[in-house]
Amino acid sequence: MLKAEHITKTYNAGKKIALDDFSIHVPKGSIYGLLGPNGAGKTSFIRIINQITQADSGDVFINGEKLNPNHIKDIGYMPEERGLYKNMSVGDQILYFGELKGMKKNDALNEAKKWFDKLHIDQWWKKKLSELSKGMAQKIQFVVTVLHRPHLLILDEPFSGFDPVNANLIKDQIIELKNNGTTIILSTHRMESVEEMCDYVALIDNSKKIIDGRVFDVREKFKKNIFGITLSDVNNEQLQNFQNKYEIFNLSEQNNLISFDLKNTVNQNDILLDLVQAGKVRSFEEKIPSMNEVFINAVGNHS
Amino acid sequence: MNNIYLITKREFLTQVKKRSFILLTLLAPLMIIGFGAVIGLMFKANESHNVIEVVDNSGLFKGQLKSNDKLEYVFVPAADEKSKIKNLKGNESLDGILILPQIASQNFDDLEKNTRLVVNTKIGLDTKQRIISDISNAIKKEKIKQLGIAESQLDNLDKNFELKTINVSEDNKEDSDLAFGVKTGLSLGLMYVTFMFIIIYGVRVMRSVLEEKNNRVVEIIISSVKPFELMMGKILGVTMVALTQFIIWITMSVIGALVLNTGFSSIQKNIPGGNAEVSDKLDIAQIATQVSHSLLDLNFPLIIFVFIVFFLLGYIFYSSIYAAIGSAVDNETETQQFTLFAILPLTLGMYGSFSLMNNPDGPLGFWLSIIPFTSPVAMIARIPYGVPAWEIALSIFLLLATTIFMIFLAGKIYRVGILMYGNKATLKEIWKWIRS
Repeated sequence: MLKAEHITKTYNAGKKIALDDFSIHVPKGSIYGLLGPNGAGKTSFIRIINQITQADSGDVFINGEKLNPNHIKDIGYMPEERGLYKNMSVGDQILYFGELKGMKKNDALNEAKKWFDKLHIDQWWKKKLSELSKGMAQKIQFVVTVLHRPHLLILDEPFSGFDPVNANLIKDQIIELKNNGTTIILSTHRMESVEEMCDYVALIDNSKKIIDGRVFDVREKFKKNIFGITLSDVNNEQLQNFQNKYEIFNLSEQNNLISFDLKNTVNQNDILLDLVQAGKVRSFEEKIPSMNEVFINAVGNHS
Repeated sequence: MNNIYLITKREFLTQVKKRSFILLTLLAPLMIIGFGAVIGLMFKANESHNVIEVVDNSGLFKGQLKSNDKLEYVFVPAADEKSKIKNLKGNESLDGILILPQIASQNFDDLEKNTRLVVNTKIGLDTKQRIISDISNAIKKEKIKQLGIAESQLDNLDKNFELKTINVSEDNKEDSDLAFGVKTGLSLGLMYVTFMFIIIYGVRVMRSVLEEKNNRVVEIIISSVKPFELMMGKILGVTMVALTQFIIWITMSVIGALVLNTGFSSIQKNIPGGNAEVSDKLDIAQIATQVSHSLLDLNFPLIIFVFIVFFLLGYIFYSSIYAAIGSAVDNETETQQFTLFAILPLTLGMYGSFSLMNNPDGPLGFWLSIIPFTSPVAMIARIPYGVPAWEIALSIFLLLATTIFMIFLAGKIYRVGILMYGNKATLKEIWKWIRS
């Protein structure tokens, strides 16, 4: 769906580098997470896709076609800095933004009605934005973003400002959009939403891409072959043998249960064979790093 | 183009729908009229009608002291003098008695010494001055009569000298003082209107830009339209608001003038005024005809054309400066040092145009109306006096070129400025944005 190739973007006549030879590939119908600390270059990249700014070099392709003004109608963008007109009624506002995206008034009206039903906000149509709470305004903002049925949705920190209930509501809508074929780029530094929602991820730090790929693959890549083990009814003698054989740490005992971590160097099935001697295996799980750990690890190694 | 239309429409509708706009548009003319009426009433309220009885022992003043609506002379027989003074106390219908003594052998100094004004209320300075001048006029006439000069000869002496100016370049049209005055009035009016509208609505463009920046709504719009389209839509939208307000005010004043006019003429018919009043009214009517004649003599299609062209171009020129300023700063308090750039040249043009009234064709007038920064006000100020076609053409060309250039420049500043949050741009940075 979207391909960015060797994007470089600088500010202040080359003094500040925002993106350095940045390339990603966003497959159609996926949710793609852009991860990175503040100031890493995420927003610069998003602004380039939205044609708010131009890259110094490199190309962006959408469906194989070089980025051009016609694509704007195909993109829905929710910036991190949210904003709507305070003195305009919700309805007028939504129609205005719809028309700016090239929709016919009636079309925009019907589409808006649909979304208002979905988000349970149909009684707000005539209200002024200044009468709504921040969370309510966020919902309107979401409707504005998706109203024109974009094929590419770019959401910059979509859950900031939402309470958990509404965050879930929005999350469900995003996933539904994805299932209907919309490609979604999600820029965030909230790792749990990446794990929950994203199919693909790219990590940006200090204007460079550090790693990208399927979320599963990225986490696999960062795993350190550590297993978490819990045993009950421990045979102390056998456990001692086991401890001599393997590298064990974080040993703890609670309610007659022994838990420890193990760094694996051999086939894990061999470990299991040894473990059953030491006691009853209550749990045996390979520890895959969370996105949070991947992120801290990757960024930490890098800088 | 469609985007500019949409933005213009939104800008126009939100501003026009604002309660403050409706109130101001409807109330401002009423307030001005009300203010004028209150001032008029204040003057009226202070006016009084004085009745003065005159005891003329000299016999010189009968027929010379003439009443008007503020001061009424009532001549009474000399014999009643003492009882009249007694009667004056507590008499509400009478304000005073003027006692003029007998005059012996044309001794006017004696007359002055022995003339008395007995009053029962405080008589205003105005009334007193009026009585004094009436008496001295009468005495002057008497003195002249003694010198053996007839009144008609005297009138002849007083005749004013009227210098007729003929302007050869304007089809030998006679240019009277009055016509010049009418032109000056028109010129001042048009100039003020332009100046005020540019400043008031230019600032509105700036506010609107700042509002979008502060609301952070700008990034969403910018992802759908070009910054340039947004800026132009804004400027055009506010232009429409200005024109709407302008048209409403003109319509209101025309309707008001029509209503007032019929009111006045009916009043005139009802008053069977004296001789003096009739001649007064005639004068006003004459002046009115002359004024309207001088107005009609002007080349209105040209004036209207020039006014619209310079008003719009000047307005767009300055609005784009204001839009650039709005985008470069973060809140309204920071705009001040920048707005100076916009206000200064315009103010210069306006004050320069005051001196231009004395000599519309002088070098100052020429340059002020050619240089684009001042030409929107200066050319409008000059146009009622007549300006050679080539100067108008040159000025329009220069203003148009500079306006396009300024829009281009403002567009560059605007494009970068609207996405800069949190800090005010320095002039150095703005220069960088322009060059990038």
